[in-house]
Amino acid sequence: MSFSRFLLRRTLMVIPLLLGVVFITFMLIRVGGLDPVGQLAGPTATQDEFDMIREELGLDKPLWQQFLIYTGNVLQGDLGESWLSNRPVLDDMLERAVISLELLVWGIGLGALIGIPVGLRAAFRPNGKFDQTTRVLSLLGFSIPTYWLGLVMIFVFFYLLDWAPPAIGRISLMIFPPETVTGSYLIDGLIAADWEAAWSATTHLILPVVCLAIISAAPIIKQTRAIALEVLSSETVRYARACGLPERTVRKLVFRNSAVPIITFVGTELTGLVGTMSLIEYVFAWGGLGQYGLNAIVRGDFTAVQGYVLALALFSVVVFLIVDIIVHLIEPRSELN
Amino acid sequence: MAETVSSDFEGDATSKPAFSLKNRLIGIARVSPTMAAGILIILAFGVMALFAEFLMPHDPVSAYHDRILQPPSAEHWFGTDGNGMDVFSRVIYGAKFGFGIAIPAVLLSIIIGVPVGLIAGYRGGLLDEVLMRFFDGLRVFPSIILALAVVAATGQSLLNVVLVLGFLDSPVFARVVRSEVLALRSSVFVESAKAAGNPTWRILFVHLLPNAVQGAMAQTAVRAAWAVRISATLAFLGVGIQAPTPEWGAMIRQGAEFMVTGQWWVALYPGIALILLVFGLNLFGDGLQDLTDPRRRAAK
Amino acid sequence: MSLLEVENLRTHFISRDIDNQIRVAQALNDVSFTLEAGKVLGFVGETGAGKSLTAQSICGLLRPPARIVGGSVFFDGQDLREMPEDDLNAIRGDQIAMVVQNPRTSLDPLTRIGDQLARIHQTHSGGPISTSRERALEMMEAVGIPDPTNRAKSWPHELSGGMAQRVLIAMALMNNPKLLIADEPTTGLDVTVQAQILDLLKGLTERFGMAMIVITHDLGIVAHYSDEIAVMFAGTIVEAGPVVDVFNNPQHPYTQSLIASTPEKLQIGGSAKLGGQPPDLYNLPSGCPLRTRCSFAQEICATPPPRRQINDTHYSVCHFSGKSPANGSAS
Repeated sequence: MSFSRFLLRRTLMVIPLLLGVVFITFMLIRVGGLDPVGQLAGPTATQDEFDMIREELGLDKPLWQQFLIYTGNVLQGDLGESWLSNRPVLDDMLERAVISLELLVWGIGLGALIGIPVGLRAAFRPNGKFDQTTRVLSLLGFSIPTYWLGLVMIFVFFYLLDWAPPAIGRISLMIFPPETVTGSYLIDGLIAADWEAAWSATTHLILPVVCLAIISAAPIIKQTRAIALEVLSSETVRYARACGLPERTVRKLVFRNSAVPIITFVGTELTGLVGTMSLIEYVFAWGGLGQYGLNAIVRGDFTAVQGYVLALALFSVVVFLIVDIIVHLIEPRSELN
Repeated sequence: MAETVSSDFEGDATSKPAFSLKNRLIGIARVSPTMAAGILIILAFGVMALFAEFLMPHDPVSAYHDRILQPPSAEHWFGTDGNGMDVFSRVIYGAKFGFGIAIPAVLLSIIIGVPVGLIAGYRGGLLDEVLMRFFDGLRVFPSIILALAVVAATGQSLLNVVLVLGFLDSPVFARVVRSEVLALRSSVFVESAKAAGNPTWRILFVHLLPNAVQGAMAQTAVRAAWAVRISATLAFLGVGIQAPTPEWGAMIRQGAEFMVTGQWWVALYPGIALILLVFGLNLFGDGLQDLTDPRRRAAK
Repeated sequence: MSLLEVENLRTHFISRDIDNQIRVAQALNDVSFTLEAGKVLGFVGETGAGKSLTAQSICGLLRPPARIVGGSVFFDGQDLREMPEDDLNAIRGDQIAMVVQNPRTSLDPLTRIGDQLARIHQTHSGGPISTSRERALEMMEAVGIPDPTNRAKSWPHELSGGMAQRVLIAMALMNNPKLLIADEPTTGLDVTVQAQILDLLKGLTERFGMAMIVITHDLGIVAHYSDEIAVMFAGTIVEAGPVVDVFNNPQHPYTQSLIASTPEKLQIGGSAKLGGQPPDLYNLPSGCPLRTRCSFAQEICATPPPRRQINDTHYSVCHFSGKSPANGSAS
């Protein structure tokens, strides 16, 4: 099967999932029985005003019609208007997406860079000292509340040691941000050769990135170990040993055969990690999509909540798609499927 | 049996002694010391939750207005918070919320998830397909965000937190049970039960359930850890549980602002308690999964 | 000196259960045999009798909780049990080659078969890769793979079962081994393909002067392709000898039942005579392990059965070997 056909088929397969996602987001604020109208109208509104707003929002129509309208709006990129910012939710989110993406890429990248080698090493000597230590540490990583870790890091590195800048925003308030190219202050600073800005952006990045890396490394260690153990006990490895291949070659074989499941796992793990990352953004006042979404949830801005939840789900769907494409490209057997 | 002592050197190993709780506990500790540690931690918190009234030196919600933000001392072991409440007493009382949310939430997940998994796996067909697609759809949402949004939308009360967590986590049990049922569905004992004219509900709950439930049970501790963690996160964001409720997440929220002004004890101690309980549950749960999964066990 | 001398080999599975009890499965109990260069020895027996485990014990391929607890293995005068892991690794795939069942899942799915063939040769020869590649093509030719140059570029998942098994045999031949161990080499293949593979193996052993151990459920295979036979039950060789002697004059009740229940000496069906569960290796009966299933069992069978030579090369481990009860009443 040619690559373009694979791509087309795989993309088409996403459509029912997307419909389901839109449906779940649609139902999200309707299951509660909370009336968004009350919020919009304010406490002094009259019954007429209520009805007017209700009509304006289409809430007087039957549920299925509302769903169709909502789906149509979503398809046109209309996610409604935020009650907090009085701006279209889509604009609010697009502005902030890159900001979050920067944190996500660095954080998960670092997490994978630590987690995968550690997991592999643990698998090669199961129940050895290294394995037992990292196993307990990764379970501990599962147990630490993200926001608490962030707070403790702020306390230690900002208050006690004064190594880190205050945990507000992505760059020092004294510094003018570099010209926007990618949206990442660090990279834009480097591009513009504005070393001061790049350095300030780096110092602001370190704590949240390390925090996210610690939290994301835990599941990656655990799963990488499990995957590598499974490969190690496979017939392929047993046969490789029977062929007298040296340990180095066997290890290389294990790495290569673990690669696809590990990539798939990290891809699925991203879904949960964007949730975790929102909390880090919240604690570090990062100003990205995650902080926007949590604020919307906490303050009851349901249009924004809906948009935010939909955006996260779409992000996962796109990640799954990308993972599938990568797997398709590196896995010779996938032509069979 | 012990009376025929055979002469070969592994004699006592091949004979099977009667079950002894002591041996099983020693066995667990030796096979998995981490699991034993997990059990101890959970028990310790269980004692804290049950006997909080006797262990707390102060009332967890009465404010000493003259002792605001005092550092740890002999009188207030963990210091006092911004309202002048005793952090130590509040941390102990918080254990009640940990168990009080996790246990009913996990029970609810089981009550919903297990029958759904049983029926989906046994019936198969369209019903199964639709359910699985729905669960797949739920999986693209980060669980914490979904929980937050639903609790915020359905009204913020402790009961709602429990209900939402229970519902959202039920697919975990449904999936486990379903896959076990799929494996058992065409087995001899189910076929013969069918041939003997048993009604479907009897086959499901009398014949399949006891065999399929082991995998689900192995998940309980890890899911409880999840519930404790998520409920604390909700409270940290002020969703569902509000300060000054002596719940750990809510306490961390109260202490957050003091982290940059140096009053670390308000947020630190409830965080440690939260980590320990979740860690204990995870250690126990990890051991449980090891014991029930023959593949993971074989690696030992 | 024989090529392979195995003496009193004992392999146990030693583990600790959740009740803190040590559990020992006596999987191999005093397995002894010798194999001369260029000969073919067939191992038969039911699942769990210890045939594959014997092969793995010889090559040092056991994984925990399996462990050799006693005995010795001498290959070509070298003590394999005392050998450091690296030296043993140099022998595996080189002087001792293995052909396993499930060839398609045993090959590395992410490496083209030509590269896998070259890799095993280069690992052991250390020569230039071009030599190894040439050798790979030669061996593919030798095992009857059509169009080797193109086939070398195939991925393992693109091969049929029979073709994959030929690749495995080519892998085994790459380094001119002295001993080839074929563990159920034809399980899961079509009957016609089975015969082709076995004829190929037999022809190759003669052509290259290899010794071969064939492990199988299939008595017919042993009858057709082996010089000698060893019948295993519950981790022991209960009868062994030249194929002709054992088939014409089976002495052990287990061998007799195997032959009797094999229609036209083709396949071991359900064991008709000695039906029943294989013995629990964690709790072997005292004396003869077969006694709980054997219709000739008497009191004496609770004591360890002696090894009785029927002639110079043929022996049986049974109290009644060469005597009347077992022989006479087998019907």
